[in-house]
Amino acid sequence: MQMTFHFNQQRCTSCYTCVVACKDWFDIPPGPRTRRWVSTLEEGKFPDVEVSHLSLSCLHCENPSCISVCPSGAIKKRESDGIVYADRDECLADCGLCKEACPYDAPRFDEEGDTTIELCDFCVERIDEGKKPICVEACPMRALDCGPREEMESEYGEKKDARGFSYVEENRPSIVFK
Amino acid sequence: MHIRDGVIERIETDADDEEQFRACLRGRSYRQRLYHRDRLIYPLRRTGERGEGKFERISWDEALGAIASELKRVKETYGNQSIFYIGYSGGHGQLHGMRAAYRLLNKFGGCTKTWGGASHEGGIFASMATYGTLSTGNTRDDLPNSKLIIMWGWNPAETIWDTNTSLRLAEAKEKGTRIVSVDPRLTSSTATFAHKWIPIKPCTDTAALIAMTYVIIDGGLYDEKFLDRYTVGFDRYRAYVMGEEDGLPKTPRWAEEICGVPAGTFEQLARDYATAKPAALIAGWGPGRTAYGEQYHRAAMVLAAMTGNIGIHGGNAAGFERSYGSRNMHGFSAGKNPLEVDGPVRKDALMLRGGTTSTAVRVHVSRIWDAMLKGRSGGYPADYKLLYVTNANPLNQFPHTNKGVEAIRKMEFVVVHEQFMTATARYADILLPVNTIMERNDIAQPWLSAPYYIYLNKVVESVGESKTDFQISSELAPHLGVDDYSDLDEEGWLRKSVESSEDIEDYDEFKKAGKHVVKLPEPYVSFEAQIEDPEKNPFSTPSGKIEIYSELLADMENPLIPPVPKYIEPEEGPDDPLRGEFPLQLITTHFRRRVHSVFENVPWLAELEPDAMWINPVDAEPRGIKEGDPVKIFNQRGTVVMPARVTERIIPGVVNIHEGAWFSPDSEGVDRGGCANVLTADKHSPGGAFISNTSLVQVEKEET
Repeated sequence: MQMTFHFNQQRCTSCYTCVVACKDWFDIPPGPRTRRWVSTLEEGKFPDVEVSHLSLSCLHCENPSCISVCPSGAIKKRESDGIVYADRDECLADCGLCKEACPYDAPRFDEEGDTTIELCDFCVERIDEGKKPICVEACPMRALDCGPREEMESEYGEKKDARGFSYVEENRPSIVFK
Repeated sequence: MHIRDGVIERIETDADDEEQFRACLRGRSYRQRLYHRDRLIYPLRRTGERGEGKFERISWDEALGAIASELKRVKETYGNQSIFYIGYSGGHGQLHGMRAAYRLLNKFGGCTKTWGGASHEGGIFASMATYGTLSTGNTRDDLPNSKLIIMWGWNPAETIWDTNTSLRLAEAKEKGTRIVSVDPRLTSSTATFAHKWIPIKPCTDTAALIAMTYVIIDGGLYDEKFLDRYTVGFDRYRAYVMGEEDGLPKTPRWAEEICGVPAGTFEQLARDYATAKPAALIAGWGPGRTAYGEQYHRAAMVLAAMTGNIGIHGGNAAGFERSYGSRNMHGFSAGKNPLEVDGPVRKDALMLRGGTTSTAVRVHVSRIWDAMLKGRSGGYPADYKLLYVTNANPLNQFPHTNKGVEAIRKMEFVVVHEQFMTATARYADILLPVNTIMERNDIAQPWLSAPYYIYLNKVVESVGESKTDFQISSELAPHLGVDDYSDLDEEGWLRKSVESSEDIEDYDEFKKAGKHVVKLPEPYVSFEAQIEDPEKNPFSTPSGKIEIYSELLADMENPLIPPVPKYIEPEEGPDDPLRGEFPLQLITTHFRRRVHSVFENVPWLAELEPDAMWINPVDAEPRGIKEGDPVKIFNQRGTVVMPARVTERIIPGVVNIHEGAWFSPDSEGVDRGGCANVLTADKHSPGGAFISNTSLVQVEKEET
């Protein structure tokens, strides 16, 4: 089984509630270190402009390129549900190999202070309690969801690409779009 | 709230099985506001110059004693009218907010207060004149019933307009509703919900709506039966629109030049709106925050009437947008201001019950600084000596900040209740610390009136020595010789509020549940009864009908408030000769990082998106301005320096500053904080509309 995110790009207003809820939940200080981020893509020339929003985190790839490059083995993948997570105590900090290897720039680091990895773990504690991750529960537009891949695909379809996002076949990121 | 040892550790919002009321990013960030190291935690007395920010800690007794002695001195020397009270929307609950200190000052003999809502006075005036009520909207679950939604200057993705409004818009779109956005900017709402963006020059919306009216009349697309049965004065308006009155037909070609929108675009939009019944034209308040903003609102309402989109599912009356009557809950009141009881009525007030009538002792909120500087010699009703501010940051949030600095320095005494050292707080003589929504009990009604109520329960003890405004006023009362300030405590008042509500039966259950949702059998639609049986249910206007032509407005005999909606060219608008010097139109919009000037200092929010002035590349390139460059934005009122955001998402000729950034003047008086009101004009429309979107500026690259 592979836990998978769903993101409805047609609904996201780039309100950042998912980002702030996540920072609050994990008590992550302000700064570049974050588990989730929202980006905005602006294309075209006035007045024919297209704007799209994207909320992303670690996408818990079926074949994660970060794990094999991590010298300390700090990044792991749960067998039971494919959740990728990082053990911050084992992270060497400042080496940055995982960040280089990840096609989605998911591992995030602060430049000063605590420079160990920050990586989405699907709110594994909440998942184990039968709850959804805090970002999913926080999204005012209900644009985020998650569940086993088959469930997500049957509910939302198998769309692998979105504006501002490219599916990397080699990694097989666990996300379906709308 | 997840609390350990009396401290909030995490925030989780509504987890009900029913439809949830999820917090926005600001609610989610509240921990950083509550525990911010800059929270004011004890009373302070000024030690340096006003505005210098130098204070010393004093006790509550000293602080209240000092305030009481100054209030008494000013009352005895100059009279109550010289006490200027500015209470605003910083606290918006049933109990905690601007009413607390107002109630005390009223019991102390009264004070001067403002009239005019900074957000929406144009909309209020127009709604009252046209419909005789502010309750013109439908509950948001009606949005998916529309075939076409026109979001006119309406950006609920950032301004919320009641919880889950954006969600209903998404559902409408998914169900097949066509959505068009008319806005100078491509906002997040436009990006997510609209099929089409029609960029328009600010301050010209009225011309656009009138040109659409022309198309509908010209094409015979209007609902004649509706007009006959429910409205008065359409013929008079038609004469103006078609040019019979002034020889100038208000064609799309006429509007094209004014609005910067191709004539064909208005023709298409007008036809779509007239034929897509039911269609909802939602007239946001931003376009009404312009010179003659009343006309924009009136013109929109008439379009809704002409197309018969009033009182039906999927329609919208294009009015003030209040819907379900949850704002009818009342408990704690400020009581009567003795200066206003039987006082003379303001000469320019609209004489409609429940409308914007107010007495002549009031000063329009855009004119407070001028009034404080000039007093009677400037034609104001009194000389003002003592400024008392709660739940407000007027120096930052009301126009012409630099004039405000001058005015506030001239006051004999300044009291501010605050949570943080805001621009206004820096000028206080005595500064009192106020607690937050997490540290007290209160009841929140939906801002616009939707069918729900929220109980805001106290979750932690007050930080430092901070108190509620209600506590502060209760404790100040005996110092002033007021012995009947309140016979109820916090809980008592909240119970009383619930008793006044027809919706909530049991206070304790409500408090325990935290919210009360009114279950409506179907979406609530304003004016359903009037449309069904107009004889039995007349509109609450003098004629009992929707007033396209208003006798009340005619009686005001002011060409700037004409009896039918008209496009009036504004000062500092698209055709002002002042454009030679200041060629760009400034608009000041909301920013999701803040609620006005609140939340500005929350680090989790500050890092999300830089606060920058929006400018189109067409205007940026000749000025040598690149993305992120610091730019100087200036006009005859002041100068602001902030970074530029060069973007195709704004119409050329216009720059946007998000209102609410904190005024931070350097030694030369240049604001480095990005406070939009350094540039806005301290004027208002004759109906009271705030005109903060009608200012001209010039922009230059800041040489560093």
